[in-house]
This record gives sequence, C-alpha cells and structure tokens, in this order.
Amino acid sequence: MRTHDIESHASVKQWAAGAGLHHDPTEVREQKLRILADFCAKVEKEPDTLVAFCILRKKETGERFLSVKRRETINGWLEEFAAEQGWAGKQAVVNANVVRSFLIHNGVLIQGPVWRG
Amino acid sequence: MEFKQVVGTRRTIRFFDPNRPVEEEKIQVMLEAANRASRAVNADFAKAIVCYRDELSDEVREQMKTPTTTVQIDLAPVTIFWYGDTSFVSGAQGRLKELVDLGALPVTHGWTHAYVDDLVYPQVLEPMSKDQIATVWAVSVETGLAIAQAMLAGVDEGLGVGLHAFNAAGVKDVLKVPDHWVPMWILLVGYPAEDAKGGGQRPRRALSDSFYRGQYGNPWTEIPEVTERLKREGMIQEPMPTDATQRMTEIRQLADRFGLPL
Repeated sequence: MRTHDIESHASVKQWAAGAGLHHDPTEVREQKLRILADFCAKVEKEPDTLVAFCILRKKETGERFLSVKRRETINGWLEEFAAEQGWAGKQAVVNANVVRSFLIHNGVLIQGPVWRG
Repeated sequence: MEFKQVVGTRRTIRFFDPNRPVEEEKIQVMLEAANRASRAVNADFAKAIVCYRDELSDEVREQMKTPTTTVQIDLAPVTIFWYGDTSFVSGAQGRLKELVDLGALPVTHGWTHAYVDDLVYPQVLEPMSKDQIATVWAVSVETGLAIAQAMLAGVDEGLGVGLHAFNAAGVKDVLKVPDHWVPMWILLVGYPAEDAKGGGQRPRRALSDSFYRGQYGNPWTEIPEVTERLKREGMIQEPMPTDATQRMTEIRQLADRFGLPL
C-alpha cells in the first residue's frame, strides 16, 4: 500500500487530524504513513479494518467494547514488526508507537513499551 | 509541607522519572501513614506489597499490566500493590477488648467486654464476615482510607503518586498473595518527570454539587472567607488553565523523551 493510498481511509484522516500530521515536516509525515502502511501490509488489514479489529460487540446487547485480547495481539504484532524492520532501542519504541498513535486517535486505548534510556 | 498544601498538591502523576531512585525511607513513611489510618474494629484491613520496578522481571511487569496501565508501570520506580484482608473479623474480639481496657472504647459509651463478647461479635461481626457483599464493602472502604493516607504522605515526602487498576490475576502467584486478600489498586510512586503540580488542579465541581446541609437537596453553602483562606493555604490551587497550550507542550516534550505516541 502506498502512503498516498493509505491517506484516503477514514481512520487515517481521523488520525491525521487528531495528531496534527499536517504540522509535521513532509518527510516525518511520510515516514509515519509509511510505517502504518507497512504494518497494515504485514497484518494484511486495511487501516479501517485494523481499528475495527480492536473493537468487538457484545453478543447480548450489540454494545461496542475494546477487546483486551485484540490489543494484546496488536502489541505482539508490533513487537514482531519492529524486529522484522531491524529497529532497536528508542527507534523501536518510537516507530511502533506511530501505529499506536493511529489507533489511539481512532478511539483505541493502547499502550506499549516506554523508552527509559 | 503543611497538611492543606499536601491535599492541594496531590495529583495523579502519569509521567515518573524512571531512573531517579525512590528512597526506601520515604516508602516506609507512606506505609506508616497507612498503618495510622482510621479502621473499624482496629483491624489491619489494608495489606500492601512494595515492589521496586527493577527488582521485578520483565515477565512479571508484563503480567501486571492492563491495556490502560502500561506506560505508568514502566515509568514508575515503585509499585505498591494494595489488597484488602477479608479475614478482618479474626481476632476482632481480642482487639476490641484491648481498646476497652485502654479506654479508647469507653464505658461511658457502653463498651465492656460483655458487650463485645455477647453482642458485637456474635450479632454484628460474625454475620458480617459471612456476608460477602458486606465484607467487600467494609474492606474496600477501610483499605481506601489507608491508601489515601499513604498517598498524601508520599506527596508530603516530595514524591509523585498515582492509583491505578492492575491485572491482579496475573501477579497473584508471583506475589504469593493469600486467597483471603482482595485486590484493590496499585499505587505507583516515583519522582515526577512532569511538573509536580501537573499543570494545575484538576477541575472540581462546587461543594454544593455534592454536599448538603441537613438533607439531600439543601446544598452546602460555601463561606467565601474559608474558600479564600484555603486558597492562601494551598488546599485550593490554580486550576489547569482552559488554554492547555503549556501543558500540551510539556506532554510533547515528555512523549519525545520516552518515545510515547502523540
């Protein structure tokens, strides 16, 4: 998925607006979109589908809720993704948190590792 | 720090300095404050296990996390796991009679050994101990009192504190928690990496929204002079400004330092 393709998704537009991606220098913004696009390609999900993956509905009431297990799954995928990309140290934390930022701005509370170096 | 200033300065700190050690002496002050809390039947409702972050394996720290309590756990140098002891009735007769003998529970108020043995224990405490809802209610309230005192003592010692949920099942075996302890909260402790005043006091509604005089529906009327005095003495402090630019700048700097998402 190319970075300009990914921008057409509603969830990506919401992320861009919430996180103020348009304020970032072009190369930073492009890099963030690239990270998200590559992650989506890895897990074979479109951005909107990735958000929907974290949100389930209760069988009884149809009420939406955030799935703990699905978020754990995302964190596991992010760990794999960072290793596959060859990221280490603070770069691994920061880049994986680009994807978390995307999810957070779409209403998915997800937290990951912290850089304490 | 003066008491009112301690109350007014407490915030839920979410950005701790991960590498600044917390002195065990200060943790002891917090535990002693908890130990001095008001408690029914002079029971030790509140139980706590103090863990320094770097003494816990990565695996254990992962097990205690919830989706909403991850960043703070990784940043805080100390986690105090709070539990409530549901076996509080055990030994209650002896403790109450000790208080009778010491004059803390005075005869002027009807307290005697006979009252404890014939009424309080068999008619109140024993049935209560068999009522799960009543037990959990009592344990929760009483443990909350102790936790509040520990938090305030931490602030008085210059520390930052924050109460959070945790995955109790995930750490029960590792911490060797007895079955009769009910998990309450974790209290994260450390020196704040953010402004210790967290950008100002959190928004609070007026006293009249929650407190009443005589009966519900008759709101407490604030005495303006008292409100002004509390401002001078630090219990009421500057609220977080509506224009959050400064706070957002601070959050951006903290996110950059710790590699957090924005």
